Amino acid sequence: MKPVIDLKLCKACNICVYICPKKCYSKGADLSEIGYFAAVVSAAEKCYNHNRDGKMICELCVLSCPDQAISWHPETEEEKRK
Amino acid sequence: MELFEFYRKDRWPHVFCPGCGIGTVMNCFYRAFNELELPLDKTAFIGGIGCSSRIPLYINSDALHTTHGRAIAFATGLRLAKPELKTVVFTGDGDLGAIGGNHFINGCRRNVDMTVICINNNIYGMTGGQASITTPHDYQSTTTPYGNKEYPFDLAEIAVAAGANYVARWTTRHVHELTRSLKAALQKKGFAFVEVVSQCPTNFGRRNKMADPTQMLEWFRQSSVRRDKTKAAEVDHVDLNLAGQITIGEFVDRNRECYEELIGVGKHG
Repeated sequence: MKPVIDLKLCKACNICVYICPKKCYSKGADLSEIGYFAAVVSAAEKCYNHNRDGKMICELCVLSCPDQAISWHPETEEEKRK
Repeated sequence: MELFEFYRKDRWPHVFCPGCGIGTVMNCFYRAFNELELPLDKTAFIGGIGCSSRIPLYINSDALHTTHGRAIAFATGLRLAKPELKTVVFTGDGDLGAIGGNHFINGCRRNVDMTVICINNNIYGMTGGQASITTPHDYQSTTTPYGNKEYPFDLAEIAVAAGANYVARWTTRHVHELTRSLKAALQKKGFAFVEVVSQCPTNFGRRNKMADPTQMLEWFRQSSVRRDKTKAAEVDHVDLNLAGQITIGEFVDRNRECYEELIGVGKHG
């Protein structure tokens, strides 16, 4: 499972950048559709839940995101092999 | 239940400022509610006036938006008239402690079966940042430009003294503990009170050199002390001054008889 940021919901508060213990997120530079510099998932392979087949371990970003923008999505076969 | 089956997707993105802690509490509440598998159509959500009292309007269930400070009074009436409903009250610090302070104390004393979640952001956020009863000592707000000279209320200690069945306090930095505590509060019979110290970067943080929400979260992390650890320490008394220390943890967990049992609501239906 990997984290995905919904660009229609993210308000660029950067709480995910602060709270992630593995530093998976970083501040964004591109203006999103609703007018914020939304955060980006820069290192999804560092995430605790990467390659764990749906087993949830940390989830700090999902629970902390005030705009409900972060959600888990299963990886593609290509990403799993990494 | 998916997140946006519980919340109304058509209302998103919500009105809260970027970085507001209310969204975090919404996530934790959804997680607790979902793990307990409670029925959404048998739960009524009640809110007063304020930022945090807008949460019931986002939930895909029946909501009661009441007058300022009277959320607990309305919830008591709803609970006694329809005992089959579970009542959850979302409220803020100004709504619960200042304007509805007497309702809060008497709600705890009466011990009606409901869950009250107070999102304490230390300020009147919606009206422009006036000092509220929980603004810490020497912190600035619109109405106290030289620093707040009063000492704040300790809402959790008031609830313990007034006789609530379950009292806990967490911050938005402690999301997993908060979720566990909300689960316990939803299962508890009687008055369950959970206070969440939340960040308000727009009106509280901006005037106190913490304009970034992450700075406020770091402040919570550094200044929060577990209650079970303060008990063992020399200072048993909980520090009222939020600026120095935020005491977090479960304050009380007891089983006093609740009001419905005492007056026999179930018998009369």
